[in-house]
Amino acid sequence: MLRWLAKRIVAAALVVFIVTSLVFVVTHVFTDPATVSLPLEASEEQRDQRRAALGLDRPIGVQYWDFVSGMVVGDFGESFWQSQPASELVFERVPATLRLVAGAAVVTVLLAAPLGMLAAWFQRRFADHAVMGFSMAAISAPPFWIGYLLIIIFAVQLGWVPTFGSDGWRSLILPSFAVGLASAGRLTQMTRRGIVEELRKPYSVTAMSRGFSRSYTIVHHTFRNIASGFVTMTGWELTRMFTGYTVVIEVVFAWPGVGRLAVHAIENRDLILVQAAVVVLATMVVVTNLLVDIARRMIDPRVELL
Amino acid sequence: MTATHDSAEPAPVVGHPPDMPETADISNDSETAEGKVSALADLRSHLRRSPAGIAGITICSLFAAAAIIGPWLPFLPDPSQQSLPDKLTPPVGWGGTWAHPLGTDQLGRDIAARLVDGARISLLVSVAAVIIAAILGTALGLVAGYIGGRLDTLIISAADVQMAFPGVLAGLILVAAFGPSVWLVIIVIAISSWMVFTRVGRSLVFTLKTSLFVEASELAGASSRRVMWRHLLPNLFSSLITLSVLELAAAILAESAFAFLGFGVQPPRSSWGLMIQQGRNYITNGWWIVTFAGLAISLVVLGVNLLSQWLQSFNDVAEREQIILERPGS
Repeated sequence: MLRWLAKRIVAAALVVFIVTSLVFVVTHVFTDPATVSLPLEASEEQRDQRRAALGLDRPIGVQYWDFVSGMVVGDFGESFWQSQPASELVFERVPATLRLVAGAAVVTVLLAAPLGMLAAWFQRRFADHAVMGFSMAAISAPPFWIGYLLIIIFAVQLGWVPTFGSDGWRSLILPSFAVGLASAGRLTQMTRRGIVEELRKPYSVTAMSRGFSRSYTIVHHTFRNIASGFVTMTGWELTRMFTGYTVVIEVVFAWPGVGRLAVHAIENRDLILVQAAVVVLATMVVVTNLLVDIARRMIDPRVELL
Repeated sequence: MTATHDSAEPAPVVGHPPDMPETADISNDSETAEGKVSALADLRSHLRRSPAGIAGITICSLFAAAAIIGPWLPFLPDPSQQSLPDKLTPPVGWGGTWAHPLGTDQLGRDIAARLVDGARISLLVSVAAVIIAAILGTALGLVAGYIGGRLDTLIISAADVQMAFPGVLAGLILVAAFGPSVWLVIIVIAISSWMVFTRVGRSLVFTLKTSLFVEASELAGASSRRVMWRHLLPNLFSSLITLSVLELAAAILAESAFAFLGFGVQPPRSSWGLMIQQGRNYITNGWWIVTFAGLAISLVVLGVNLLSQWLQSFNDVAEREQIILERPGS
């Protein structure tokens, strides 16, 4: 187990390193932060001045070394837009993004597990079709649109929850649903499919022939057997949230997270801040994948050794 | 006995492993004209039994038609024609008139016309991205699976890193570096989807590599390029087309997200995601802008999802037989 863990951690670190290097290639070889920060009509002299001020006129190898060694200690350079270290700006936004993803994860799991079981229980009957219809709608609608619909209905029309911002748990409800619904839809379908498949297997048939009801068998026997797949898929959904859904949903709800910071940084042509935000988000994805692998290993020791 | 069984049965004769039923149809069909007819009939009879499949195809065709012939539809006004006195007219049923059935936006432009106009960009971008991803990903998957060795290790590691570094992040960094553009969005979506084709293609090639028809052509002296092009690729088609449809749904959603963030099409051009971005300041006094634009995205993605689910169930022979068994008489 320890050797396996060590291997996984090294592999994860390697992915972060490769991603960091790719980011460097895009932001320093194909263009550079100075050029991006200046308007298009800026003269070559102005650009050279800005480049020199940022140390971008040094050999590319030296810059790469600085970039990577800076990343290791959490130094991402200084943001033009906010004139503040980029790392400070990004790190102070991390908790908000984590809160949003946690809320969405709760929504996802609490919807998907019972709904999937319900659909499998009533296979090919009304409840099944209703649940499957709901999950199909959830995976087909763009999350940011779901966000606006929720705002129109629950914040504007009914006035139950605040429209945007992030004070208190009440403002977390709508964004969590907006982020989590699509994931819940996919996970519900997967849960139903898994359970329906497992119900044909001898152990389920035996359980039911011994007189256990279909629902009891599903909850106590079948669901446990797809738990490993359920955890893996939930992990997958978490990584999707970190990189896709949270970015747009943070914009919709003016949520002070890393994704919204990245979008604002792009609008303000602050390449240094964008690369800091992207590297931090990518690291969160890699760490999530690692945690999911560990959880899977603990649930189902048969998971192959890397 | 139904048509389904007829076409699936001769599979072992040509040497397909029995556990690869979905690829069996195509290889037989490419041999004889008779097989082709039965595969189409098979597809049709399967479709007739699947209301979801019919709905999917109908929705997809309607949107495709709107995207293609939209500008020549006689009853639609010019999508970019502004008319400030008519701004924020509600849709029919909420106090609007048939002049603007779905209402108008903040500049008095007709929503219906803008939706049809937006379909072009939204669908064009996502279809182009999926085609690029499918060609690139399949080629890499074929090479990785068939040639193997170091090349395989390299390609599959790249696919793994790509899996861990999802496309949206690549999109953020590329847009930050090069500025927003439609081409960039196409590239970003293609980047975030090629590895799916590589992985599936590679694993299919692994199972096909040891089949008799591949070994026979190798013994007959066929070059690896010929084996990949003439023998392996045709056997991947049905799986890859199913996969492309699935990826198309993701691509349409990704395109709308990028357009919404302002990273794709720039005004005055229009796309569904951009309509939502522009309409978001009017959700209190003009809810229809955001609602209809999002409805258009959801509907087309729903159509694509239904189509993909139906294709998957068609490819999955076990499920196909279950449907046949459970619905006798058809």
